[in-house]
Amino acid sequence: MNPQRRAAWVLFAAMLVVAPRPASSQEPRLAVLSQPQRAQVEAILDSARAARLPTEPLVDRALEGASKGAEGERIVAAIRRLHGELGLARDAMGGLSSAAEIVAGASALRAGASPNDLTRLRELRGEESLTVAAAVLADLVAVGVPSDTAVAAVLALADVVDDAEYVAFRRSVERDIALGATPVAALGVRLESSAAAEALGAGATDQLDFSPGGQRQRERKP
Amino acid sequence: MDERDPLIDRAIETLRESVRLDPGLDRRVMEEVERAPAPRVGARRWWSAWEWLRRGRTVTVSPLGGLAAAAALAALLLMGRWGAAWVEDTAAPTEVLEAATVQFVLVAPGASMVTVVGDFNDWVATATPLRQASGDGMWTVTVPLPPGRYRYGFLVDGTEWVRDPSTPPALDDDFGRPNSVVTVRG
Repeated sequence: MNPQRRAAWVLFAAMLVVAPRPASSQEPRLAVLSQPQRAQVEAILDSARAARLPTEPLVDRALEGASKGAEGERIVAAIRRLHGELGLARDAMGGLSSAAEIVAGASALRAGASPNDLTRLRELRGEESLTVAAAVLADLVAVGVPSDTAVAAVLALADVVDDAEYVAFRRSVERDIALGATPVAALGVRLESSAAAEALGAGATDQLDFSPGGQRQRERKP
Repeated sequence: MDERDPLIDRAIETLRESVRLDPGLDRRVMEEVERAPAPRVGARRWWSAWEWLRRGRTVTVSPLGGLAAAAALAALLLMGRWGAAWVEDTAAPTEVLEAATVQFVLVAPGASMVTVVGDFNDWVATATPLRQASGDGMWTVTVPLPPGRYRYGFLVDGTEWVRDPSTPPALDDDFGRPNSVVTVRG
């Protein structure tokens, strides 16, 4: 073999080695699904990739369905719905939102928050992660707090508390409910407590109107 | 050293002889040129370019040069891939995550086996078994988790799904079995 031909073969072999693989490579973990359902789920994953949405939550949901013995159609429907929620959450919270924020935002939407609520939360929280705030919103609804009340509470606290305080707030409400308080009453009491703590901490007379029908925004008294 | 091959000497003499051309050659060539239609300048350029592209060439590439070219091509292709990944990350940036240790506990006195199954272990039923602390039915395991929101449940004796009573229930229960949810702060 002459040197030119040898060089050409070397070049060709190198190109084969580094040739880019197709972007829509199959997700091996989905092998637990039947072939028709797997194809449908893969198509949804491709759509998520194209929209630059996180795909791991979708894979997780499919694996959950398979693990629980759900029918294929039900799994596909669940993933399709989650795909839509992830897209709504990302659009509402902004394109730079992390995967964890998007997942938590999708949970908040499922809990009854609106995309506008998530956008407002982003505005109030600034560059802080929305993961915990959105998750607390969903968790409050899950323990029985009406969704509009939970949204109002989370937005009211958005520029007042940090993530740890959000979690502590949610735990306090849960504890009160477990002790027999109604969800709305528990939420109101704990919000007042947070407001009082904030006012003392700031050394000011800031007040929050936490009543279910009250103002959601922070009020500064003269 | 001074002796040259007679063949070379003859070639030198032949090359030194003046060449006599046909006196009518110039005239005939010019007549042919004048008869040919003058091509448009643009077309001539394109034709020249096409001819240049079609003309065969011999390219000599050493094996080392071939490898260098292949490496450059590989670098270009890889840069393309990394570029795509970067664009994807811009849409959903990966945070610098710090793992937290989460303890899962279930009180199940009559159980012979308990596992925790969720988003963090691909819902593999046997991936994360709990151990019984002291034979009193209290099962526990600690799992390192990066910040995020995870849905999970306990699987008792491989058949019964049980929700974790110490964490909020998951609202998005798509498959009719109760889930719990845990959020790990970043």
